[in-house]
Amino acid sequence: MSVLTIALPSKGRIKEDTAAIFERAGLGISAVGNDRSYRGRIDGIESVEITYLSASEIARELANGAVDFGVTGEDLVREGMVGADQKVEFCARLGFGQADVVVAVPEIWLDVETMADLGDVAADFRARHGRRLQIATKYWRLTQQFFSSQHGIQLYRIVESLGATEGAPAAGQADIIVDITSTGSTLRANHLKILSDGVILKSEACLVRARKAAHDDDPRVSRIMEAVRAAL
Amino acid sequence: MPLIDMPDFSTDLLNEFAARRTERVNTPVIQPAEPFLDMAGEDLRRRIFLTESETGANLCLRPEFTIPVCLRHIETATGTPKRYSYLGEVFRQRREGAHEFYQAGIEDLGDKDIARADARAIIDATGILGALLPGGKLELTLGDQAVFEAVVRALGLPLGWQKRLIHAFGDMVHLEALLDRLARPQPVTGLDQEVAELVASGDEAELIARIDRTMQETGYSTNASRSPAEIARRLKEKLELAETRLDGGALLLLREFLTLRLPLAEAPAALAGFADAADLKLGPAIALFDARLAALANAGADVSAMTYRAAFGRPLDYYTGLVFEVTVSGSSAVLAGGGRFDRLLTLLGAKERIPAVGFSLWLDRIEAARAK
Repeated sequence: MSVLTIALPSKGRIKEDTAAIFERAGLGISAVGNDRSYRGRIDGIESVEITYLSASEIARELANGAVDFGVTGEDLVREGMVGADQKVEFCARLGFGQADVVVAVPEIWLDVETMADLGDVAADFRARHGRRLQIATKYWRLTQQFFSSQHGIQLYRIVESLGATEGAPAAGQADIIVDITSTGSTLRANHLKILSDGVILKSEACLVRARKAAHDDDPRVSRIMEAVRAAL
Repeated sequence: MPLIDMPDFSTDLLNEFAARRTERVNTPVIQPAEPFLDMAGEDLRRRIFLTESETGANLCLRPEFTIPVCLRHIETATGTPKRYSYLGEVFRQRREGAHEFYQAGIEDLGDKDIARADARAIIDATGILGALLPGGKLELTLGDQAVFEAVVRALGLPLGWQKRLIHAFGDMVHLEALLDRLARPQPVTGLDQEVAELVASGDEAELIARIDRTMQETGYSTNASRSPAEIARRLKEKLELAETRLDGGALLLLREFLTLRLPLAEAPAALAGFADAADLKLGPAIALFDARLAALANAGADVSAMTYRAAFGRPLDYYTGLVFEVTVSGSSAVLAGGGRFDRLLTLLGAKERIPAVGFSLWLDRIEAARAK
């Protein structure tokens, strides 16, 4: 029997919450080797391996089809691949790790409340400031899809930001940001506000399956999905 | 350059370019990525091949020729008018078709006789395609951003609305959404009451001062890109624009204009009739449209195979007037695409305004059409 691989988060709250759900689902995990091992197996199902990876690596491995299942944030999966719904199935939303990917602008931009406002500002930006509007983000794919396809805004530039994105406007690295936020408090602390129609994605931790033909009549695949869904 | 994989009609093409008195130029395959992303927007990022130099500079494989040819023109500072031609590989990530393929074309820079230069670009494109596809029936679709701009101006909308509509020209979904907003104005909500009162009082200086104070207090002002005055003025403008309602008649006119699609030869009369019936003064844009058509007819172009489509444009801010596409009868594949981009050279750093018009030929599609 071929080995089925499930990639789970290797650290933090999301790791504990995932373990709790798998426990409730009757999919007890035991570590292979010692407690700190990054490998495990599911008790009672043959040939199912657990591999512990970082949340962003899990998204990547799902995109490559290198793992069969993964638990990670929807934002990372959608950012990491084109046509996510064709390549993977979001089997279950797990109810933790909730956070929104949002468009946020300086609070003091009193004239900008909607994406349409932002479109006006972006269209004029070059004439006024000699450069395009700059957006700091690590979500360049989600940003493009949202700005171009949904709001017809083309004229802006992305400044890649790998951390402390909320600080970018005050630091002069960018004019606005696209970032993930759970309570919005970090945004407020940095005097940023979310546009009224600026929620790009309501993300949370999901059980995600890489779509593979071999899964179709594999009882282990349906058993894992059903068990997790039943535990929610 | 390995010539072995070039289309077999490349020599004919180069002879055509030479006969049309163009100067052939080449540009490096590896280009700085910034000008492309700056001009076309971030959407281009997923369609080009990006890489980085050792020092972190963004580079890309040449996705098209117009920008490199224009940059080269600015760098070499050899003056205008200039007629450049190019033939070489371009690289794009496409859902269908190869990622590397040949393009060729002409960029005509600096001819101040707009109608004549426009007509020449069309004649060059159709003439070359005609020579490469003997027996194929060419069809040309023509659009004109300047005519749309004239219609929008003549409707008497506030400047802010004119800019929005003109900016969206060529993107029908976006344009429709704007027209809906004009039909059903939405009041601005969520504005802080004190701010709303300040705006209503018309005390702009106090509003600016207030914004400035907040910026200072929040430590945002040092690096603020948009100044307090810019924010205050746009806030005022936004509140005015939100109340703008285009009456049903004018909206209908704009929608009717956007559905115009007719043989090019009939377009001047139709546009004049439209302007008359709607009591709109379209002025120089129509004069230029007519002069271009006259220049085409004078040069012996087959105007009967040309269609004017009023809504046809490209939603990029450097296109200013003519746009056109050429297909061969029975196929939707665009074999040549062109247009006027009078704003591009200054955007790329030219000191003076240089009128420009050009087109590119999709050699892979032409090859496929020749094989049929």
